[in-house]
Amino acid sequence: MSRILITGASGGLAEIIAEKLKDKYELTGVDPRPLPEGKKFPGKFVQVDYRQRKMADVFRTNEFDALIHLGRVPSQIRLRKTQRFNQNVLGTRSLLELSLKYKVKSVIVLSTFHVYGAHQHNHLYITEEDPLLASQTYTEVIDAVELDNVSVAFSLRNPKVRTVILRPTNIIGLEIKNQMTNFLRSKVCPTLLGYDPMWQFIHESDMANAVQLALEGKKAGIYNVTGEGVIALSHAIGLTGATAVPVPEFLSSAVLGGFKLMGQHFPRHLVDFFKYPVVISDKNFRKDFGYEPKIMTADALRSLKPVPTLEDVKAPKTTERLDSHSS
Amino acid sequence: MFRALRQKLINAYLSDEEKSRVERALKDMASTGFDPWGVNPDTLKASLASTIWLYRKYFRVATHGIQNVPPGRCLLIGNHSGQIPIDGMLIATSVLLERDPPRLVRGMVERWAPALPFVSTFFSRSGQVTGDVHNAKILLESDECVMVFPEGVGGSGKTIFHRYELQKFGTGFVRLAMETKTPIIPIGVIGCEEMLPSLSKLEPLSKALGIPYIPVLPTPFPLPTKVTIRFGEPILFEGNPDEPDAETHQKVEKVKNAIRAELDEGLKARGEKIFTGAGI
Repeated sequence: MSRILITGASGGLAEIIAEKLKDKYELTGVDPRPLPEGKKFPGKFVQVDYRQRKMADVFRTNEFDALIHLGRVPSQIRLRKTQRFNQNVLGTRSLLELSLKYKVKSVIVLSTFHVYGAHQHNHLYITEEDPLLASQTYTEVIDAVELDNVSVAFSLRNPKVRTVILRPTNIIGLEIKNQMTNFLRSKVCPTLLGYDPMWQFIHESDMANAVQLALEGKKAGIYNVTGEGVIALSHAIGLTGATAVPVPEFLSSAVLGGFKLMGQHFPRHLVDFFKYPVVISDKNFRKDFGYEPKIMTADALRSLKPVPTLEDVKAPKTTERLDSHSS
Repeated sequence: MFRALRQKLINAYLSDEEKSRVERALKDMASTGFDPWGVNPDTLKASLASTIWLYRKYFRVATHGIQNVPPGRCLLIGNHSGQIPIDGMLIATSVLLERDPPRLVRGMVERWAPALPFVSTFFSRSGQVTGDVHNAKILLESDECVMVFPEGVGGSGKTIFHRYELQKFGTGFVRLAMETKTPIIPIGVIGCEEMLPSLSKLEPLSKALGIPYIPVLPTPFPLPTKVTIRFGEPILFEGNPDEPDAETHQKVEKVKNAIRAELDEGLKARGEKIFTGAGI
C-alpha cells in the first residue's frame, strides 16, 4: 500500500481528502495546528512545523510515495507578513527538499487562483501561462505567489519528482472555512456598488476528486481547477440566502475596519475580486487528468445556506410566551 | 424590488416572440443561469427592452443583407462613429431581432470599461467583452459572433466634417481572423455619423486630461437620424497569420474597401434625407 503524507491535515479540505484516500493508501497527516476537537485523522497525525527538524524525521521513518501539500496559511489568518511568508514559502521549500531527498515520487501542491490577481485588464478564461499579477498591487499576497513560484521552480529543476501544482478557484463547502466561505455564510455580504463581476466556485468534494486525480494521474505541471459555470457575485450571494449590500468603493476601507472590529480579518487584496473578474480555464486539467466537476455550482452555493438551528426554531416560541405573559 | 421593476420593463416593451429570440440566442448556459461570458437571459431581455424603442421608433433602423451573418464563428467589422457607441448597440440589436435564427453579438469594448462602475456590469450582462486578443480568440474558437471597430476612438470621436471617412484601422483583426479561420463580415452603418455632430475634438484639452476626445456638440442628445445597417458578403482570408505587416495591410485595405462599397451604396440610396431616407 502506497504511503502518502498530507500537510495541513487539521484543515477541512484535508479531512475530506483523507476520508477519500484512507482505504487505498496509508496516510500520515502533519500540521502545525492541533487537530480540531472531536476530529480524528484516518492515519498517523503529527503536530509539527514544516521547517522543524522533526519534519525530516517524519520523512525518514515513513518512506512516502507521495506528498499532498495542502498546508498553506491563508491570508485571513492575521499573522505578520514575514511570519506568513516564512511559514508558506520556506515551509513549502523545506517540504519539497525533503521530498527530493527521501525519493518521494509525486508531489501535489495546492496553490490558489488568487496568484493571478484581480486586474482591470484581465481577460476571461485565464490559462496557466498567464502572468501572476497578484503581488503587483498588494504585497501581502507575495507569499501565495512565492509558494507557487517555489513549487514551479522545483518541478522544472527536478523532473524526476512528478510535481502537480493546482490553482483552484474559490473552494466552498460545509467543511471549508476559508475567507470566501465565511463571507458567503454571513447573513449580510457587502459588495462594491456598481460592480458585479463573474465568479467561479468549486465544491469541496469536486476539489477532493481533483486532488485524487492529480495524485493518481501520470502528467506533471501547473493546472487551473474550477467547478461548473460562472456566476455573478450578487447572484452567488443570493443563492446562499444572504443579502448583498452594495457599498460605494470609497467606503470599502471603513467596511474592512468594521470587519476587523468584529474579529474577522478580510484582506485588502481580495476587495479587487469584488471589482474585476478572475475567471480561469481548466481545460488542460480536464484534458490531462479526465477531470469533470460533478456538483453543479448553483447546488454548491445553495448548500451553504444556513440550516435553521434548534435555537432559531425555539426563538419564536419564547417570544410568544413572553407576549402571553405581558398580556 | 429591482427584479420586479425589470420584469415590468421586459413585459412592457418585449413581445413573446422577442423574448423567445433572446432565449434562442443564448447557448452553453450553466446551472447558475449564466452563459460562459456572464450573460443572463433576464438581464439580456432587460437590455433589449431598453434599446428596442430606440432601435424601432427613434432611429427606425433598416437592415440589408443580414443573412450574410453566418451561423458559425464570424467577425463583424464596421465603420465607427457617433461619439458614443450607439452604432455597436444597433448592430447587436439588429442581429438579435432580424436574423434567423437570432444571434448574440459579442462586442469588444474599450479596455478601460471594466473600471467603470455600473457600465462594466451592464456591458458584461449584455454580452459585451473587454477588447483583448485572448478574449476575442477564445470567443471565436467557441464559434461566437464577435464585433470589432478597428478604428476605435479614432472613428467614434471624429468630427462631422469627416463623416463617412474611414480612419486608420488596426491590423490585429485580420491576423486574428486568419489564425482562427474566421470569415469577416464588412458592415456599413449609415446614419450614425450624423446623430451627434461634433464640431471639434478639443485636442489640446483632451490630451492634457488624458482622455481620447472631448466632443463639441450643438445637440445635447442624439438626433433621430434614420439608420441603415448594411451587412456585406463574408470575406475569408487564408494563409499564414504571421505574414509581414505589408501583406496584412493589403488585406485590411480589402476589408476597408468592402465597407466603403456598402457605405457608398447606402449613401447613394439615402441621398440628403438624413432623417427619412433609407440606405437600401
